[in-house]
Parts: sequence; C-alpha cells; structure tokens
Amino acid sequence: MIFASALSLTEPLFTIADKLPVPDLIVTEWAIILIIGLFAYFATRKMERVPRGLQNAFEMVVQWTFDFFGQMLGESVAKKWAPLLSTFFLFILVCNYSGLIPGAAYIDGFKAPTSDWNITATLAIIVFFTVQIAGFREHKMHYFGHFIKPMPLMLPLNILEEVARPLSLTLRLFGNVFGEEMIIGFLLMMAPFLIPMPMMALGVLTGAIQAIVFTILASSYIGAATGEGH
Amino acid sequence: MEGMFAIGAGLAVAVGALGGGIGQGIVGGKALESIARQPEIADQVRTLLFITLAFIETLTIYGLLIAFMLVGKI
Repeated sequence: MIFASALSLTEPLFTIADKLPVPDLIVTEWAIILIIGLFAYFATRKMERVPRGLQNAFEMVVQWTFDFFGQMLGESVAKKWAPLLSTFFLFILVCNYSGLIPGAAYIDGFKAPTSDWNITATLAIIVFFTVQIAGFREHKMHYFGHFIKPMPLMLPLNILEEVARPLSLTLRLFGNVFGEEMIIGFLLMMAPFLIPMPMMALGVLTGAIQAIVFTILASSYIGAATGEGH
Repeated sequence: MEGMFAIGAGLAVAVGALGGGIGQGIVGGKALESIARQPEIADQVRTLLFITLAFIETLTIYGLLIAFMLVGKI
C-alpha cells in the first residue's frame, strides 16, 4: 500500500559496500546540497565590491536573514546562529519545491525529501541540540538552572517541553508537505489535467511558509535559550 | 471492520477541519479588521497572518495524517 510505505523510508535505491542502504530520498538530498553549494560557489567565486547578478541575489539573502534574526535574537547572538538558520531556510525551501518538479516521486531517486518524517526528524534533532549548545555557550552552567525554574518540582514538565519541541517541528513540516503531495496525488487520480493546478499553486505557498515557520520557530527557541532570565 | 476504518478516516479530517476552520476564520477576520483600521501596518500584519494560519493549519494536518494512516489500513 502506497500510504503505508510513504510513512517509512522507501526501498533502498542501492547499497554502499553491501552494508549501508541508500534510499532515494537521500540521493535527492545530496543533489539539493550539491545544487545549493554550486550556486553559492559560483556566486562568490569572483567577489566584487559592487555586486552583480548571482552575487547580488546571495548578498540580498544574507542581508535579509541577518537583519531578520538580528531583530529576533539580538545582534551578537544572531551573528553566531544566522548562518545555520538561513541554511535551514534555503535547504527546506528547495526540498519542498523539489516535489513540484514534473516526474518527482515517479522516477527512482527523485522525491521531495521533506515528505518523509525521517528527514524532518533529522532537521528537528539538529535544532534541538543547537538550542542546548547555544544556551550553554551563552550562560555556561547557569543555562541548566532554567530546568528547575520556577521550582524544582517543574523539572519533568520542563524536560517534557524541551523534548516536545523537536516532535512538533518534525510533524509540522512532514505533515504539511506529505499531506500536500497526497492531496495532489488523489486529485491526479480523479482528474489528470488542470484540476490539480490550484492545489499545486497552494503548494508553492505552503512550501515557502513552512520553510519560514520552521526557521522562525528554531530561532525563537534559540532566542529563548540565549535570552535573559537564566 | 474496514467500514469503521473508513468512518474513522472521514471523522479525523472532518472534526479536525472544523476547529481549524473556525480558528482560521477568526484570525483572518481580525487581520482584515486591523488592516482596515491601520492600513500602514498591512505588511507586518500579513506576515504574522500567514505564520498564524500555518500554525492552525498544522493541527488540521495532524488529523489528515491520521486519516491517511487509517486509509492505508483498509
């Protein structure tokens, strides 16, 4: 059944040295990393004082994200963590949009990576550890004090809150992208031409918004960990 | 038994969409109200509006996921 298989990692596309299975999502992920990396490399290969073309576009992205996170986190914290957060944004955006390419999910090794919860869980776990490290670097040992605030009785609840965050991040991103693709799939089964178009247009909007929401949530968690009150 | 799965899948989406729909209606209405009162903050309100709608939509999507799982069991 396609729905059951879509909820777990799909069949491995090939195995490395007979031991490490590589599913098709991972191949798509590699391709996306390669594409973003190549774009960044060619944009900054011949850096000029007055930017043109690709360099201009990338400088705009960097400027915009630094300003945005600077407002949320404060200048000094934003300088440390904005590169990671804007990478999250770019990566999730390209991942979400890779499902809109014609033929995606039909060709082997070609499927939107964020429509599998293993990939989104990976991103959310990275956010979880980033938050702990950011809080520890900012407040040293005082950071762990916030687990027993306002009183030691709250320790289990505080830990639960901390653990629930990656879970909700995972399910939010995965559910939106996966639900979107499934709805488009259903519509395609019912009417092959033109009818799924409005849903795909909505998919463009949802993809961008989910990338923004993931990044904003991650930055607000970092802001809460590095902020005052520890 | 399979009929129960089908009913459950339908209910998961229907009940989930009910609450989310009411919530999104309230959020959209309030956003329009505030833009009509202060047109100069329209950009800020629009950004926050989309993010809030995304949060509410997520709850409905949880129901949708459960529905897909139930449909997969039929």
